[in-house]
Amino acid sequence: MNISTELRQIGVIARLELRRAFLSKRSFWVYLLALFPAVIFFGHAIEVKVRQDRWSREGTVQPAVLDRLNRGMTYNEVIKAAGTPIRDFEWERRRRDEDDTVRMRHVLLFDGRRRSDLTFRNDLLESVHTRPLASLDEDRQVFAGVFQFFFLRVAVFFGCLGIFLNLFRGEMLDKTLHFWLLAPARREVLLLGKYLSGLVASSLIFVLGTVLCFAALLWANDPVEVQQYMNTAAGHELFRYLLATVLGCVGYGSVFLAAGLLVRNPIVPIVIVLFWESIIGFLPQMLQKLSVLYYLQSVCPVSAPVEEGTPALVRLLLSPAAPSSVWVAVLGLLGLTALVLYAASRVVRKIEIDYATD
Amino acid sequence: MAVYKRGYQRYQGPRTSHLSRIMVMPRFSWQRLMGMKITIVVLAVSMVWPLMCAAFIYVANHAELWQGMGGDMVRFLNINGRFFEVFMNTQAVFAMILAAVAGPGLIAPDLANNALPLYFSRPLTRGDYIISRLLVLLGMLSLVTMIPALLLFVMQVGLAGWGWLADHWIYAWGVFGGFALWIAIVSLVAMACSAYVKWRVIAGALVLAFFTILAGAASIMNAVFRVDWGRAVNPALAMNQIWRSMLDMEPLEGPGAWACSMVLVLMGLTLLAALTRKLRPVEVVK
Repeated sequence: MNISTELRQIGVIARLELRRAFLSKRSFWVYLLALFPAVIFFGHAIEVKVRQDRWSREGTVQPAVLDRLNRGMTYNEVIKAAGTPIRDFEWERRRRDEDDTVRMRHVLLFDGRRRSDLTFRNDLLESVHTRPLASLDEDRQVFAGVFQFFFLRVAVFFGCLGIFLNLFRGEMLDKTLHFWLLAPARREVLLLGKYLSGLVASSLIFVLGTVLCFAALLWANDPVEVQQYMNTAAGHELFRYLLATVLGCVGYGSVFLAAGLLVRNPIVPIVIVLFWESIIGFLPQMLQKLSVLYYLQSVCPVSAPVEEGTPALVRLLLSPAAPSSVWVAVLGLLGLTALVLYAASRVVRKIEIDYATD
Repeated sequence: MAVYKRGYQRYQGPRTSHLSRIMVMPRFSWQRLMGMKITIVVLAVSMVWPLMCAAFIYVANHAELWQGMGGDMVRFLNINGRFFEVFMNTQAVFAMILAAVAGPGLIAPDLANNALPLYFSRPLTRGDYIISRLLVLLGMLSLVTMIPALLLFVMQVGLAGWGWLADHWIYAWGVFGGFALWIAIVSLVAMACSAYVKWRVIAGALVLAFFTILAGAASIMNAVFRVDWGRAVNPALAMNQIWRSMLDMEPLEGPGAWACSMVLVLMGLTLLAALTRKLRPVEVVK
C-alpha cells in the first residue's frame, strides 16, 4: 500500500469521524464550553451599552467635577458640585470591631465615559473610585486572563478530553471499534484519521469561540479606541490567540487520544494532567517545559495577570519560566505531540478488543 | 392469548425492617468499592494530609520543641479556625476525586442494564434507592473528611485539655457540619452524573469537570463583570464561605454565608430533581 492510498484512507476516516464529532449529542457540551466565555463577554458588552445609555439619560456631571473630588469632603459639598447623583443609597453598619453604628452612603456619578463610586462614612467622603465604564486596555487584560485561565486550562482541556477520548474509548464502550479494526487499513492510518477528525472538530469549535469572544470584547468598547487598536495590534493579537487555541487542541488532543488507548479509566490521566498543568508555575523552569500549557502561554500575546487575592507566599513561589519564542513553542508542542502520537501508534498496533472487560 | 391466571401475587410474608432494607445496597457497594485498587490508592493518598496535620497539632502543643523561635512561629503554630479551614479545603479536593472514582459506578450500571425495575419491584421506594446510594458515598467520603477531622479535633483536645474544648467546641461542629454539607453536594453531583451518563468512566470525568468548569465560570463572571457575586457559583468557594462562618471566622469578600447557602441549596435541589427524573422504574423497549 503506497503513501497516497494511506493518505486517502486517512482522509476518508477523518471525514467519517468528523460528522460524529460535530453532530453527536455528546459534542453539545463542548459547544457550550467553547461559547460560554463569548456569551459572558457579550453580556458585558450589552451591560456597558445599556448602562451608558441609561446613565447618560439620567444626567451626567462635568469630567472636571469628578477630578476635583477628594476624601474628606462632606456629602452636601459633593452634591452641590455634582448635582443629583445617579444612585444614592444610605445604610447603617456595625462591625464586630466597631463600638458604634456607622452611617454609610454610596453615591454614583457618571461623566459620560467614567463612573465614580463614592463611599461616605458619617457624611464624610471616605473613598473615591473612578474608572472608565469600559476600558479596552483593562478588557484586554481580562481577556488574556480568561483565555489563559479558563479557555486553555478548562475549556480546551475538557473539550479535547470529550472529543479525543471518544475516538477510541467511546467506540470501545459503544462496542463499535471492531468495525474499524476489520477495515483494510493500517492501525496507524486509523489512528491518524481519527486524530485528524478530532483536531479539525475541536480546532474549529474553539477557534469560533475565541473569535466570538474577541468580537464581543471589541463591541463593548469605544469605537475610536477600537479603531486605533484594530490599526495597530488587534490582528497580531488575535492571530496569536487563535494559534494558541489550535496548538492547545493539537497538544491536549494527542495526550487524550493516547490516554483513551492506554487506560480504561480516564479519571487517572485527567487528575494527573490537571494536577501537573496547575502546579507547573511552582516547578523548576526545566520541568515547566514538559507541559502543554508552557508552550501555549508562550504563544499568547498578553501575559495573564496573577489572580487577585492570591496569597503572598503563593505569589513568591510562582516562578514562571521565561516564555520561549513563538517558533520554539510551536515546534516544541508539535514535537511533544509527535512523541505522544508515536507512543499511541505503538499501542494501537497491538490493540485487542475485549468488550466484556470494558 | 388471554391470561386466565396471574403468575404473580403480592408477597404477604414477614419483611425485614426498613432500615435494613436500605442498608443492603450500601453493604454490597462498600465491599465492591473497597475491592477496587483505585479507591484504595485515593484513600491512601488522602490520608497523607491528615497525618501531616496530626504532626502539626503535636508540635503546636509541645512548646519545648519550638522555644525561642519568635512570635511568627507562635502565630503559625496555632490551632484555630484557619487550621481547620486549610484542612477542610485540602480534604474537600480528595473527597471530590473519591466521589469521581466511586460515584459513577452506583447508578450508571443500573440504568444501562435496565436494573431499576428489579430494585423497585422490591419494597424500596425511589427515595430509599437515592438514600441508599447516598449512604454509600457518605460512608466513603466521611473516611477522608469527617472522621480524620474529628480525630484531629479529639487529638487537639487530648493535648490541649478541656479548657481548649470549652473555648473552641465550635470547631467540632464546623468540621462536622461543614463536611456533611460538602459530602451532600459532592454526592449529588456524582449521582446525577452517574444517572445521566451511561458510561461509568465518562461520568467520573464529568464529576471533575463539573467542579472545575463552575470554578472557571465563576472566575470569568467576576473578571468580566467586575463583580464578586460570581464566587457563589463556584461550589468550592461558596462552601468555603459557609465553612468560615461555621468556624467563626471573618467572611471573605463577596456573597455572605447565607447567600452561598441559598445557591448551594438551589444547586442541590436541581441535582436532586435531575436525579429523580432519571430514576424511573420503567423499561422502554424500542
